[in-house]
Amino acid sequence: MGLLTRWVRRQFTTRVIVLMPVAIAINIVLGYTVQNVLKLPIYVDSIGTILVGCVAGPLPGALTGILSNLIWQYAPGIGGSSIGPFAVTAGVIGFMAGIWGYLGVFRSRPATGLRLIVPAAIAVAIIVVLAARMYTIPQYNDPNAGNYPNWVYAAIVVIGASASVAVALFVYLRRDAAGAWVAVAGALTGVVAAIVSAPIAAVVYGGVTGSGTDFVVAALRQGGADVYNASLGQGLLSDPIDKTITSFVVFLILAGVSSRVLARFPLGDRLVHVDAEPARSPEPTGTPSDS
Amino acid sequence: MIPADEEALLPAYVRRILAGGYRSLNPLTKATLAAVSAIVAFGVRGWTGPAVVLAVVLSSALVAGVLRRMAPFALATLPLVASILLVNTFLYPNAHDVIANLGPLSPTWTGATAALQATLRVVAFGLSAALFALTTPIDDLLGELERRGVGRRGSFIVGSALGAIPRTVERAREVVDAQRSRGMDTEGRLWRRFRGLVPLIGPVLFGALAEVEERTMALEARAFTAPGRRTILRALPDSGWQRAARWLLLVGSIAAVVVSLAGVVKLP
Repeated sequence: MGLLTRWVRRQFTTRVIVLMPVAIAINIVLGYTVQNVLKLPIYVDSIGTILVGCVAGPLPGALTGILSNLIWQYAPGIGGSSIGPFAVTAGVIGFMAGIWGYLGVFRSRPATGLRLIVPAAIAVAIIVVLAARMYTIPQYNDPNAGNYPNWVYAAIVVIGASASVAVALFVYLRRDAAGAWVAVAGALTGVVAAIVSAPIAAVVYGGVTGSGTDFVVAALRQGGADVYNASLGQGLLSDPIDKTITSFVVFLILAGVSSRVLARFPLGDRLVHVDAEPARSPEPTGTPSDS
Repeated sequence: MIPADEEALLPAYVRRILAGGYRSLNPLTKATLAAVSAIVAFGVRGWTGPAVVLAVVLSSALVAGVLRRMAPFALATLPLVASILLVNTFLYPNAHDVIANLGPLSPTWTGATAALQATLRVVAFGLSAALFALTTPIDDLLGELERRGVGRRGSFIVGSALGAIPRTVERAREVVDAQRSRGMDTEGRLWRRFRGLVPLIGPVLFGALAEVEERTMALEARAFTAPGRRTILRALPDSGWQRAARWLLLVGSIAAVVVSLAGVVKLP
């Protein structure tokens, strides 16, 4: 059996095959519920995809994302939305989640002192760099067009600052350095998702998606951005936030699942935190064991 | 003929095979038609592609007798269509052929044209998906794919996902009701609604993960990973001309996209 075949097989165990449909249903139902019952301006339709990616690997993650969007579009009774063409984006998100899974991003990393502060500082620095890059990219800052609504700049500053504070607080209060890496992974996933979705939205739907985020597209067009750049600008503003929140939700869920369950998945060894010095039950003294 | 309510009680394998015209096509042919519709509606630019797809879809729906049941699917595209029309008509980049000046707003012809084309694409694609969903029992498609060599893992994932959706909807509704009765705020301010995120998602996910454990055991105990293929009880009819039509449609649609993008033939 070739190395590639073995790599593929290792990711598709029976347990993963059973998890994938559940994750697809979670994507669709939670995406719908969060948007319609809680009426929040985020998508949260990739929890299942990121979950499968980080416990099973890139291929099951990508497949979960692609199938979620196709089933949502084509299944009788729930279909009729316009999500099908974004299957590409969902696939990329799942694939990236698999890579984060291999890197052990979602493993809990209890730490204190410097080992807690350094990752948190790195994460905050990356968020600030991303926000600064957003502040200066042409989509928002074209000297020929100009006249961008001021609130876009204000929004970037506010979002960047609150994301930094939130991540730092999360890391500090949980005493868990993993929060920093989860934030970085989520933000990077969001940036890539935005870059992948923008051409789809532009070519297929004339630049809008029919959700609440379209007012951002409208504002950027008002400022003079073209169809593609307005979509990209909107994506870069909302996708990193959405994917970071989703990643944190997945991280919190995984932290709540018993390690016995997690360890049985293909990437289980990268998800379960093993104490450097395991707390042992006191050694039995006196009578020697009968083995 | 079996009455409809009695039919619902029968197991899937003694169900009446859909007969007549469009519905009796092989599921794979209908899936190919749906894929080709999407390729042409999005790939062939301008008016021609989407208009052709819409005409074909609507006439097929008429033949299959599902035209009326497609209305909800058409309605579901409304928010997107409204957004497309508004944003593009009023805010199309670098368009100067103004229709009328309405205060700060100036709709343009270029924008309106682009908006109408995008709308046509969205509606054509949405209705082609609806036609597929309404005329193709998903079990038939999965059975057919398995007969053609797609592994049982693939058909299990899709089939099981479709079964899991209503269950998860039910569970999400129970969780929302339970959390509301304990004071979760689904109507208040943005921040309060954000705080409802974890109490909603947590129980739904934990319940689903617990289920995974049981189902894995059940499948392993029933030779899910055994080698060899399953015997299909009910083979669906297929014919030579359908096979030829599938290939012809696929190759033709891709050729049409290439021709359209290369600009060899000028289509309206």
